[in-house]
Amino acid sequence: MPTTAGNPRHGPVSPVRLETGFWAHPGTVRRTGPGERRAARTVAVLTARRAARSAAVWGALFGLLILNEALSWRRNFPTASSREKFAHTLGANNGLAAIIGPARQVDTIGGLVAWRLFGLLIIVGAIWGLLAATRLLRREEDTGRWELLLAGRTSRRHATAQALAGIGAGWFVLWGLTSAFTVVAGLNRKVGFTVSASLFYATATTVGAAMFLAVGALASQLAPTRRQANGLAALVFAACYLIRMIADAGTGQSWLRWASPLGWIENLRPLTGSQALAFLPILLLTAGATWAAIALAGRRDIGAAVLTRSRPPRAGTRFLGGAGVLAVHLERWAVLSWTAGLGALALVFGVVARSAASGEVAVGSIEQQLGNLGAHPGGPEAAWIGYEFLYIAALLAFAAAGQISALRGEEADGHLDHLLARRVTRTAWLAERLGFAVVFVFVAGLATAVGGWLGLASRHSEVDFPAMLQAGLNTAIPALFVLGLGALLYGLVPRLAMPVLYGLVLWSFLIEIIGSSISSNHWLLDTAVLTHLGPVPAADLNWTAITALTGMGVLAAAAGLTAFRRRDLIAA
Amino acid sequence: MALAIRTTGLAKSFGSAVALRPLDLEVTEGEVLGYLGPNGAGKTTTIRCLLGLIRADAGRAEIFGVDAQAHPAQAHRRVAYVPGEANLWPQLTGAQTLHLLGRVQGRVDEPYRKELIERFKLDPSKRVRAYSKGNRQKVLLIAALSSRADLLILDEPTSGLDPLMEETFRECVREARDRRQGVFLSSHILSEVEALSDRVAILRAGELVEVGTLSEMRHLSALSIDADFDTAPPDLSKIPGVTAVAVEGNKVRCQVVGSVEPLLGVLAASGVHQLLSREPSLEELFLAHYGREPSARSGESRAA
Repeated sequence: MPTTAGNPRHGPVSPVRLETGFWAHPGTVRRTGPGERRAARTVAVLTARRAARSAAVWGALFGLLILNEALSWRRNFPTASSREKFAHTLGANNGLAAIIGPARQVDTIGGLVAWRLFGLLIIVGAIWGLLAATRLLRREEDTGRWELLLAGRTSRRHATAQALAGIGAGWFVLWGLTSAFTVVAGLNRKVGFTVSASLFYATATTVGAAMFLAVGALASQLAPTRRQANGLAALVFAACYLIRMIADAGTGQSWLRWASPLGWIENLRPLTGSQALAFLPILLLTAGATWAAIALAGRRDIGAAVLTRSRPPRAGTRFLGGAGVLAVHLERWAVLSWTAGLGALALVFGVVARSAASGEVAVGSIEQQLGNLGAHPGGPEAAWIGYEFLYIAALLAFAAAGQISALRGEEADGHLDHLLARRVTRTAWLAERLGFAVVFVFVAGLATAVGGWLGLASRHSEVDFPAMLQAGLNTAIPALFVLGLGALLYGLVPRLAMPVLYGLVLWSFLIEIIGSSISSNHWLLDTAVLTHLGPVPAADLNWTAITALTGMGVLAAAAGLTAFRRRDLIAA
Repeated sequence: MALAIRTTGLAKSFGSAVALRPLDLEVTEGEVLGYLGPNGAGKTTTIRCLLGLIRADAGRAEIFGVDAQAHPAQAHRRVAYVPGEANLWPQLTGAQTLHLLGRVQGRVDEPYRKELIERFKLDPSKRVRAYSKGNRQKVLLIAALSSRADLLILDEPTSGLDPLMEETFRECVREARDRRQGVFLSSHILSEVEALSDRVAILRAGELVEVGTLSEMRHLSALSIDADFDTAPPDLSKIPGVTAVAVEGNKVRCQVVGSVEPLLGVLAASGVHQLLSREPSLEELFLAHYGREPSARSGESRAA
């Protein structure tokens, strides 16, 4: 029983028992006192600081890309005929439309900026959003840091709400920087966007990030680990993207855009006849997912998840016979998901190839585009598949980077200590993990070949299986290079390896998408790994590039192995 | 007797921070060496150098004569290790983790592992994610002990264990020593080190400041004396070996190093009616190296 303290003005007062079981004096009993508010603010500020760092980087990148695109428009297309030609060749390209959205009014500067960057930045923003949310929520819980914050004068619900407010502040930084650069670009007299049009464009570009921040926050409550939360949110993203792709691939299914949150963003049509009404479902989804995340955080135990297995864990010891096969056990679901996902994507590409590549304008534009890339024009479907498979190659390179990330995670989490303190050598461990990743890359490449061929065969295409097998092999080459480079970075600078590697892959992807139609700046194109590949099956395999990329990858991996043997193990 | 561990001039720095000054240390087969030091003294750095997890800047670390830095996997054939932090794969069950670690270790005494699971009261069917810190620590202890490795390297092995399990752990370490296994026990729990160790090494700021058996250390350390007199006490400060004399009324407190005979002679001739002498505990020995007073006293012996 607590002692009764005297009140200097009113004499002794009895303490009261709170719902929490603690005792307090009546004057101190408040629903939300300054201490609670301060504690909650601390969570918000802490989260905001961490979210704002990466948001500032991406916001600046978004803004600079928009600024560059807007200001270089007149230089790249100085005459009306050059603009018309561009609109004719690329504007009708269903392959590009499937990847980055349909082109509207691309003979105008607004249409060009909206088309060339909008679809791409939505994707990047959405991925940033879901990864940032799971990092700042579920990862904090996984590491036990969240528990420390909750031990303060706050509750699970309050702290989650405040963390989401902090994440929201991070998004505001992304939006603010993107807006600032877009407004600056728009004010240029050669560009001439109104301030409101610039702000609408910047908001539309970054609203995908906000939506997937909320999706990531909800996934963080549903899944038991950050990795699984990432997987869940990525599944939602992939489904949204696939639906949007089918809608935009020229298959006559454009109504499907309203079935995908990414399609809603596309329907905003910034700079090309804005439709603000499309904000409504976006706001509803963002608010709904945020509310659900806060509500679930208040109801579930810390460390627990809404989606838990009801059956007891299996006690099987398959793939636990040693350090080498442990990779299979730990990574099997990730690599199977990637393989199945890429195979399914290739299948969709194959199925829609005929309709997407049909029509004189479309075929001509694709073949001309491939001609610019150094390919030999072939059949329309092969041309379309060749172009789309470069996109698959980029995704497979991201998956390969994920394998290096998993390696680093084993070391950062201290798991590697248990193996290397026993009879496992560093060289054997790293070589086996890289070997597993190489097998995964080839199997995933094979899955895309089979998927693409099945899709094409279902539409009685003339593209045969050996040609698709070559296309599948072609997608694996950049991933092999990424694995080698990743091993080198991991061996030399483990803490910096992942930001640098993901940055390089993303850079290659951006250059491939944005820079492929600009032939004037070769050094820029050369920095993208994908640029060096031919669009197989429309082109032959580029054996020179394959040998060079694979050779560099192998050399980098060997150097990485040597560096790893000589350095200290470094925890997170 | 074979040397399980031998380090000569083993040193490690992280940038400008010196983590371990040249360290010379030996652990023999069948010996338990308690390795003591405050946070940041370099205990874990020593262990990680010994296991080749980090590269030493200078010196040599041998495990059963094998250079652990140059040939870590070969050196690890006879070692089992329990790290300070029980970071295990959260998606595996306890049984799966024990299976994996046993396979990677290369040898497991399976009946003994079953016995250890029972003695430590571990439910191996649960996922590591669902384990408490203590239970994760049990998994690591069971994995290490069941390997019957010739050398156990234990870094804060009982962190998170309840007192009953701590006692089980002590029994297991005694059994290991009886089987001629060497044990390198890094711990903050002084009572644990005092109860288990044949020798103790004390590390301060990366430097080995004391190593020996507890009796050797006590012999070299001052004996604490409290004496009550019927009348005013005599001047004890001039007696050889006597230091830190404090007088309070008819009571005197002092410390004596070396032979107590001259002091006893003076006390006997001065009408002492109560005499209290006490050997230093490990805690006092440990704290003496860090310039602090012990928080409690123990092991008192009384003489009148």
